Amino acid sequence: MFNLLRMDFYRVKRSKSVYVCFGILLLAAMIAFGMIWLLATPRGQEISLRIGMLSLEEVKESAYILEGYDSLNFFRGICLDGGSYNLIFGIWVMLFVCADFQSGFIKNVMALHQNRWNYIGSKVMTAWIVDFCYLVLNLLFALLMNRICGNMVPYVGWKEIIFYLSWIWFVTTAFAALIILVCVLTRSVAAGSLAAVLFGSGAVVRILLGILHMFHRGEWLKYSISMTCELGPGKYTSVKDLYVYAVGFGFLALYTVIAGLVLRKKDI
Amino acid sequence: MMNAGREEVSAIETIALTKIYGEKAAVKGLDLKIREGEIYGFIGRNGAGKSTTLKMICGIAAPTQGEIRLFGKPVSDPVVRRRLGVLIESAGVYPHMTARQNVVMKAKCMGLADEKGVDDVLGMTGLADAGKKKVKHFSMGMKQRLGVALALLGNPDLLVLDEPINGLDPEGIRELRQLIQKLHEEGKTILISSHILGELSKISTNYGIIKDGEMIEQLTREELEEKCQDYFQIEVEDLKRALAHIQEAFPGVQAEVADTRIIRLYGVGDGAGVNRLLIENQIPVYASGFHHMDLEEYFLNRMEGGRQYV
Repeated sequence: MFNLLRMDFYRVKRSKSVYVCFGILLLAAMIAFGMIWLLATPRGQEISLRIGMLSLEEVKESAYILEGYDSLNFFRGICLDGGSYNLIFGIWVMLFVCADFQSGFIKNVMALHQNRWNYIGSKVMTAWIVDFCYLVLNLLFALLMNRICGNMVPYVGWKEIIFYLSWIWFVTTAFAALIILVCVLTRSVAAGSLAAVLFGSGAVVRILLGILHMFHRGEWLKYSISMTCELGPGKYTSVKDLYVYAVGFGFLALYTVIAGLVLRKKDI
Repeated sequence: MMNAGREEVSAIETIALTKIYGEKAAVKGLDLKIREGEIYGFIGRNGAGKSTTLKMICGIAAPTQGEIRLFGKPVSDPVVRRRLGVLIESAGVYPHMTARQNVVMKAKCMGLADEKGVDDVLGMTGLADAGKKKVKHFSMGMKQRLGVALALLGNPDLLVLDEPINGLDPEGIRELRQLIQKLHEEGKTILISSHILGELSKISTNYGIIKDGEMIEQLTREELEEKCQDYFQIEVEDLKRALAHIQEAFPGVQAEVADTRIIRLYGVGDGAGVNRLLIENQIPVYASGFHHMDLEEYFLNRMEGGRQYV
């Protein structure tokens, strides 16, 4: 598996998609910061008034828009809670995995590596590491943007940041494993993209939530990947908060195992 | 067979190999044996089961039944897999990468630390000068050569090449033929399938003919030579009359109608006598001459249905 990991990293470094997707994440963060700056800071409001973006009444209302926010939950709000991170990261994972099938390079890999688990393991590990880089760099960029925008929100302590990053890392990797499963199952860019959009944006979970609420069983979806991303704790308060790790590891293991079984069953 | 007290090991041996898709058997109980050092030409019509067999040998398709052994070991053995180089159907390469980057990728996949082998295989396949040109801008022939380069990486003892000539220009075909012959001289075993039977007959030492998923014949080059009979071919105006006169005058001769105007005569020594007979009977002869049956004709004779399938 180590050899496959080396191969995957060689490709990651040389693929445009990893940089393009990261660029989109940064651009989205930059736009969000810009918008909030225009709405919530005195200088920004001045410009908004001048260009007719806000009325005087709206200026008064939007002055409180950042109340209760700190740097961490602001980062969550613009990036992870709404599902934009999962959507973009999911698209990258889809492009990365489907390229093997589309190009046919997988024939070269599978002719050498009979153990299909090595392939799945290497893909999940690559996604796990890229996910870490994306999250950390994205957070650092958000902190930098906050500084550039005149410290719009107060900073939180590093303990909260580490706690949050540690669990969100596993939960988003579990999401990557789901996309890997879809790609291995369908070998289709279209199906992979659709899965990234529907699962990443939380559309599937919201539909399910609506259905399950009718039977008073909606609370179970609290343990889904997208709801965990949205509702997971920002800081550690009790042992109960550790459920997020169980969700992350559980789904990661589940989707990895199913993807491995699917790959073992299907011919290349 | 025992050789100097040591059991002879086949490079590839399949025992009752079967692959079933749904309810259709693509390969049925195939017994294939390729000894080390052979160039084995694998022949069959489209859909006969050639690629499926090769895919199973390469480990990218799982057999429904049967066994595959490479160098006497099960195909799943990771050590024996490293002795195998494959090119199945089209070359599996990343279009947004250069030829060298693709080969480096495969080298990393194999765990090769030294990149010298990468340059060697690019040189051997004439891609050393491809430079920074991305594979998506390659011609079909260049892509195919890159596929061969990937198969050659790691100096494998056994090469499985499925239609490697596809897309190559005449010069590329000649270069690939020379490369295969060179690799054969180095002692490598090569299993090659191609529809270009003329080309296959120039290099193969052994042949296997597959039909509807079953191996119908395995023979050596010498055996093929023996079986490929010489024949006398004549092109005439009136085929029916010509046949009647020939069969009357040469009762021991076997005649085959190849076309509406062409007759092939097996076992004829006196071609001039046949011509004289037809002219004396006022049957115009447009062309005549002795021919040697080649692999393509032999293959067509073994198949039912004729030339249009090749």
